[in-house]
Amino acid sequence: MEKTISAKRLLLYLLIIGILFLYLFPLFWQLSTSLKESDEVFSGYNLIPKKVTWKNYRIAWSQFNVKRYLLNTILVSSIIMLGTLICCSMAGFAFGQLQFPGRDFLFFLYLGTMMVPGAVTLIPSYYIILRLNMANTFAGLILPFFFGSAFGTFLLRQFYMTLPKDLFEAATIDGAGYFQIWLKVMFPLSKPAVATLGVMTLVQHWNSLLWPLVITQSPALKVLAVGLSDFRLFRNIQWNSLMAAVMIAILPMLLILFFAQKYFVKGIQFSGINR
Amino acid sequence: MGTTIQPVTHVSMPKRAPKKRWRQWVTGYSMILPNFIGFFIFMLIPIIATIGLGFTEWDLVNDPRWVGLANYKHLFKDRIFWLSFKKTIWFTLINVPVQSFLALLIAVLLNRKLKALNLFRTLFIIPWVCMSVAVGLTWTWLFNTQFGYINHVLTSLGLERIGWLTSDKLALYAVIFVNIWQYLGWHIILLLAGLQIVPQELYEAATVDGANNWMKFWKITIPMISPFFFFDLVVNMIMTLQIFDLPFAMTNGGPGNATRVFNLYLYQKGFSFLLMGEACSMGVVLFVLIMVATFLVFKFLGSRVNYEM
Repeated sequence: MEKTISAKRLLLYLLIIGILFLYLFPLFWQLSTSLKESDEVFSGYNLIPKKVTWKNYRIAWSQFNVKRYLLNTILVSSIIMLGTLICCSMAGFAFGQLQFPGRDFLFFLYLGTMMVPGAVTLIPSYYIILRLNMANTFAGLILPFFFGSAFGTFLLRQFYMTLPKDLFEAATIDGAGYFQIWLKVMFPLSKPAVATLGVMTLVQHWNSLLWPLVITQSPALKVLAVGLSDFRLFRNIQWNSLMAAVMIAILPMLLILFFAQKYFVKGIQFSGINR
Repeated sequence: MGTTIQPVTHVSMPKRAPKKRWRQWVTGYSMILPNFIGFFIFMLIPIIATIGLGFTEWDLVNDPRWVGLANYKHLFKDRIFWLSFKKTIWFTLINVPVQSFLALLIAVLLNRKLKALNLFRTLFIIPWVCMSVAVGLTWTWLFNTQFGYINHVLTSLGLERIGWLTSDKLALYAVIFVNIWQYLGWHIILLLAGLQIVPQELYEAATVDGANNWMKFWKITIPMISPFFFFDLVVNMIMTLQIFDLPFAMTNGGPGNATRVFNLYLYQKGFSFLLMGEACSMGVVLFVLIMVATFLVFKFLGSRVNYEM
């Protein structure tokens, strides 16, 4: 009895690992190509390169301008994340814990816009940025997202609503103002929710293409998604160097995924279940 | 006792409450203000403006000129508009069921007491955290007709090379395939959360009654997961109708118009041809399409969902 169960387990593990290997194979191949010499790229199909070279990463880094794109992406996505966390935390607290007229109406207005596709807001938003003289600037990349999203406010509101009312009342009796209650008592408690929103926002804006594509033209301002997408139209691509560029573009998010995996899982579950 | 306490609360309440309430209003409004400014300027105004601009001719340089329904009339006579419309529907009709069902199968496979479950879950969402442009380029390399790995596998099996991204019959399916691959893990996580809520006692009771795994899957798992699965289908549909990044990065709409999905054509109308009014009317059409599709799915599938949890 014992034996058959453990054999079943082993089979299950092997099956899952097999599926995962196939599933992640494109990324293994991408890594492998990025480490190959140019002549091996077009001749061999070994997953393990015959001779490992880091030259492609140097080419991607300087010739393909990936260094600049990477720095721009870090700058833009981290500022957006910071702004989102602050603005959505405050709004989430106000919606979840405070009483004021029009609160529920406003909140439902927020929810109502969550189904509106991005394409609907694209052109007027672009025009607003144009009129603010922010087209082709970092400010133009950041501003529309800096104040947070309906999704983020929703996520944090749901969190603040789960905090016990006693906590709020106890802090009120101690004579703290509402803003102080948020800053000193509630915000420190919200770390898991903030971390969840943080990783979701970071991934979204690290990878985002359409807005940076319409708002930036000069190479000095391009983020990774836009910079890399330029290569799609090239003939005679150096595939090994391009795969190195692709590796550089995804590696930071892979690292964050492994260090903050439970927040990603929470974030996905939230964006599904509470939608 | 009661009589001695009551006066105290009566005295203190009227003094403090109005002031407190007023302070709470002010703090409430100020704390949502930054978030609301962003929402107002970059969400609410643009939504309304798009509807209005859809009735105008506008090139960003000159002022918008009112043209009534001309944009819509023009769109409905535009062959490429209908092509992109059909491509998007077709994309969604294939992508959504295949992706969600595959995700359900893998989620069922993973829904056991596995020591490495967290690791497996994390590995499955790797493609989702990767940028679409990046993995799009990786797949372009894998699909490469001459040197790509996929054609290498085909030729070593004695088959012909296939122009995956250069054939106007296959390119759309190749992009759909990559899209299914990229977001599969996202759906697995979502459905796994649903599966974990199913009470274990149901399975235990079924085992006592002599049910096998296959019967348990159809009689317990499927009915219990159906609200989650339905929900996953709806979210998946709404996301897929808005597909942009992958076709942009992999084929840029080509070859010909083979992968020119709705959002890609909208982007080109606006930012390549500067037909901003028409692009706005396309945005309205997309929104209506999403609403109608969601309504139809709720009407025809929603009633079959088991909500008794």
